[in-house]
Amino acid sequence: MTAKRLRVFALLAISVVFLLAWAFPIIWSVLNSLKTDSDVLAYPPKLVFAPTLDAYRDVLFGSGSILPNLLSSVIISVGTTVVTMLMAVPAAYALARLRFRGKRFAGFYVLATQMLPPVGIIIPYFLVLRNIGWIDTYQGIILIYLSFSLPFAIWLLVSYFEDIPFEMEEAAYLDGASRLKTLWRIIIPQVRGGIAVTVVFVFLNAWNEFLFAVVLSGNTVRPVTVAMFNFVSVEQTLWAKLAAVSVLAMLPVVVLGVVAQKHIVKGLTVGAVKGGGRR
Amino acid sequence: MATTVVTSADIASEAPRSDFGRVLAQRERRFAAALLAPAFLALLATTTFPLLFLIYTSAFRTDLAMPFTNGFVGFENYQVLLSDERFWTSLLVSLVYTGSTVALQVIIGLALALLVMDMKRGQGWFRVIAILPVVLSPAVVGMIWRTFMLAPEFGIVDFLAINAGLGSKNWLGDPTLAMVSVIAIHTWQWTPFAFMVLLASLASLPEDIYEAARLDRASAWQRFRRITLPLLRPAIVMVIIMRTMVALTAFAAIFTVTAGGPGTATEILNLYAYRKSFTELSIGYGSALAVALLIVTIIISGILFAMRRAR
Repeated sequence: MTAKRLRVFALLAISVVFLLAWAFPIIWSVLNSLKTDSDVLAYPPKLVFAPTLDAYRDVLFGSGSILPNLLSSVIISVGTTVVTMLMAVPAAYALARLRFRGKRFAGFYVLATQMLPPVGIIIPYFLVLRNIGWIDTYQGIILIYLSFSLPFAIWLLVSYFEDIPFEMEEAAYLDGASRLKTLWRIIIPQVRGGIAVTVVFVFLNAWNEFLFAVVLSGNTVRPVTVAMFNFVSVEQTLWAKLAAVSVLAMLPVVVLGVVAQKHIVKGLTVGAVKGGGRR
Repeated sequence: MATTVVTSADIASEAPRSDFGRVLAQRERRFAAALLAPAFLALLATTTFPLLFLIYTSAFRTDLAMPFTNGFVGFENYQVLLSDERFWTSLLVSLVYTGSTVALQVIIGLALALLVMDMKRGQGWFRVIAILPVVLSPAVVGMIWRTFMLAPEFGIVDFLAINAGLGSKNWLGDPTLAMVSVIAIHTWQWTPFAFMVLLASLASLPEDIYEAARLDRASAWQRFRRITLPLLRPAIVMVIIMRTMVALTAFAAIFTVTAGGPGTATEILNLYAYRKSFTELSIGYGSALAVALLIVTIIISGILFAMRRAR
C-alpha cells in the first residue's frame, strides 16, 4: 500500500469508529426495545433476534402506562416554549434594536442569570412552591423552566435580530406604521427562521430537563424522563420496557434534531463563532 | 413629570436634541420598557429572587425531617462547610469531572473537526450522527449507559472488555472506574457539540492564508500551530466557557448512572447540594452548599473570561 492509500484507509477507519461510537448506544437501545427480556440479557449479545413490539405495547397500553407521562412532557415542553417565546421575542427585539438607558446592563443581566447553578434555584423554589401548593403542578414546573429557557432564548434571538438591516423598519416607521405594527409586520417575518430555531432549542431543553422535574414532579405531573425510573428498581429491571421508554423519550428530540440539523448547528455556533468578535 | 426630565445621559448620548427628537427618544424608551417588562419580571422572579432567598435560607437551619430544631444560625452552615470533608471531596470531584470532560471534548472535538474538514465525502454522516447525542436528555443517556452499555456481563462495554481479555469489570461499583465511566459518558454526549462548533469555525476561516502558507512551504503542523490555532482561539475559548458552565452543574447523567456513588466517589458539588437538600432534607446546609457552588462557578468563569480577553 502506498502512503497516501494508507492515510485514506486510516481516516476511514477512524471515521467509522467514531460514527459507531456515537450512534451505537442509541441504535442498541432501539434494538433492545424490540427484544424480549431474555433476548436483552443473552450472552453474547444478540444481534439477530425475532423482533417484537411487545415492550412498546406494554409501556404504552399496559398497566402503569407511560402515556400520561409522555403527555406531561408534551404539556410542559409546549407550555414552556409558548410562554418563553411570548416574553423573549419582544425582549430580544428591544435589546437588539432599540435605544434606551441601561441597555448594556439589561444585556449583562440576561447573560448573568444563565450562570446560576440550577440546584441553587430549585432549593428556594421548592420551599416557595410547597407553601403555595404548586408542587406537582404544570404551572410550577413551567414557571421555573423560564429561569433557563428565557435567558437562552433572548440571547439567541438577539443575534438573529441584529442581522436585519435597519433601513427596513425605518422605512415602515416613516410610512406611519406604529412601532408595534412595524415589529409585527416587518421585523418578525424577517427573523422567522431564527424564531423557529429558538423554538426548537427551547422545546428540546424543556423536554430534556431533569433536576427541576425530579424535585417538582409528583403523581399528577411527572415527565417521561422521571417516570423512566419506574422500570429500574433494586429488585428487578424491566429491560425491554426500559429500552422502549428510553426510545419513546428520545423520539421527539431525535426527530427534531435531525430535521432541524443545519439550523441547530447554526444556533449552537452563533455564540461561539460570533462570541469571539463581540466586545 | 417624566416628560420634562432630561438627563445628562440623554445629552451625552447621540440622542437627537430637537424637541421632536426628544419625544421620539422618549417614546422609544417607553416602548423598550414595555417590551422588556414581561421577560425581566419573569427573570427577576425565577432567578434573582431565588438567589436572594437562597442566601437567606443558608443562614438558617431548615431541617424538614426535624422541624423543631429549625432557626436562625447565621454563618454556622458555612463554618460547618469549611470543615466538612465531604464538601471538599465533592469540590475536588467537580473540578476533576469538569476539567477532564472539557479537555477531552475540546481535544477530541478539534481533532475530529480537522479530520472531517479534509473529507471529500461522508461529512454529512458526521453532521447527522453528531447531532444525536447533543439533543438527547442527559437522564436518558445516563440510563442507557448504566443499563445497556456498562452493566456487568451483558452490557456492551463489559462484553468488549471481556473479549479484550480485561475481564468483567464493575464499571459503576468501583470508585475509580465509576469516575472514569461518568467522565466517559459526559464526554460521549458532548464532544459532538465541540466538534460541530469547531467544524463550523474551521469552515469560516479564510482559505487564502493557507494558500500563502503553502506557498511558503509551511508544514501541516506549522500551519496548524501558526494559523489554525490562533484563528480558532476565540471559538475554542468560547467552547471551553460554555462546556465548563454546563459540566460544573451537570446533574442528570451522574444522578441516573451512579447517583454520586459508590459512596461519594462521583458526587460532584452540585449533587452533594441536591442530596443534602432533598434526600437528607437539610435545606439550610444544602443552600450553603449551593452558594459555595455559585462562588466556585463565578471564580472559574471569571478566570475563563479573562482568558478570553487576553491575547
